[in-house]
Amino acid sequence: MTDPRFAEIESHRPYLMRYALAQLRDGQLAEEAVQEALVAALESLKSFDGRSALRTWLTSILRFKVIDLQRRIMAERVHQPLDEESEGGEEAWMDDLFDASGHWRESPQTWSNPEAALEQRRFWEVFERCLDRLPAAGSRVFFRREIAGEDTEAICKAEGISTSNCWVILHRSRVALRACLEKNWFGKETGA
Amino acid sequence: MKDEVNCREASKLLSVAYERRLTPGELESLQQHLDDCFMCRNFDSQLRFLHAASQRYRSSD
Repeated sequence: MTDPRFAEIESHRPYLMRYALAQLRDGQLAEEAVQEALVAALESLKSFDGRSALRTWLTSILRFKVIDLQRRIMAERVHQPLDEESEGGEEAWMDDLFDASGHWRESPQTWSNPEAALEQRRFWEVFERCLDRLPAAGSRVFFRREIAGEDTEAICKAEGISTSNCWVILHRSRVALRACLEKNWFGKETGA
Repeated sequence: MKDEVNCREASKLLSVAYERRLTPGELESLQQHLDDCFMCRNFDSQLRFLHAASQRYRSSD
């Protein structure tokens, strides 16, 4: 009687929550978006043709719910610019990383056997913590681009920013994430 | 004519390569820089790892 895919859909809830949280930065709103997306998914399960992965299909439904909620928030609050930093100098933030001649102030380290990290549950906890620490715009854009694998153009358009600004946000997020992983995982791991 | 790039510029090229195709000139400058700079080679490896980890995260339970 019950479609076995109901349980399967439910199993994607944690990932969908991460997606919604990265976009909305509000647990309650994220919960609401995911709940609405799952209900919509169950209602239209028949239209899922299995051509894309279930998770991809669910994420595309969630994306619209998130956009709805973002619009609602925008309407309620005064429009907030993306991030103070992303508006300001595109380059100033790099001064912390590079000296006047453009050399790394602190060299990126050689990470030993990074593939092994992917198999460890604790690594993913650190990964999530590092994602959470990104500035709001970085978190939204990086998650959609690198994790959900969405199109850069579409993301920039949705954010209402120029492509080059979008690239800066992505670059900055990558730099921040690699530094966070190096500090909290790969740096500590040596000798273990 | 290719321009010499420093680490700061190389890091930007390495990152933006995930968003757009680099021009032949950019690729050449970047490759030349990477040949001489282990720090940027490390950064390059780390970006690849980040990309792979993100994809894994998408498909994980």
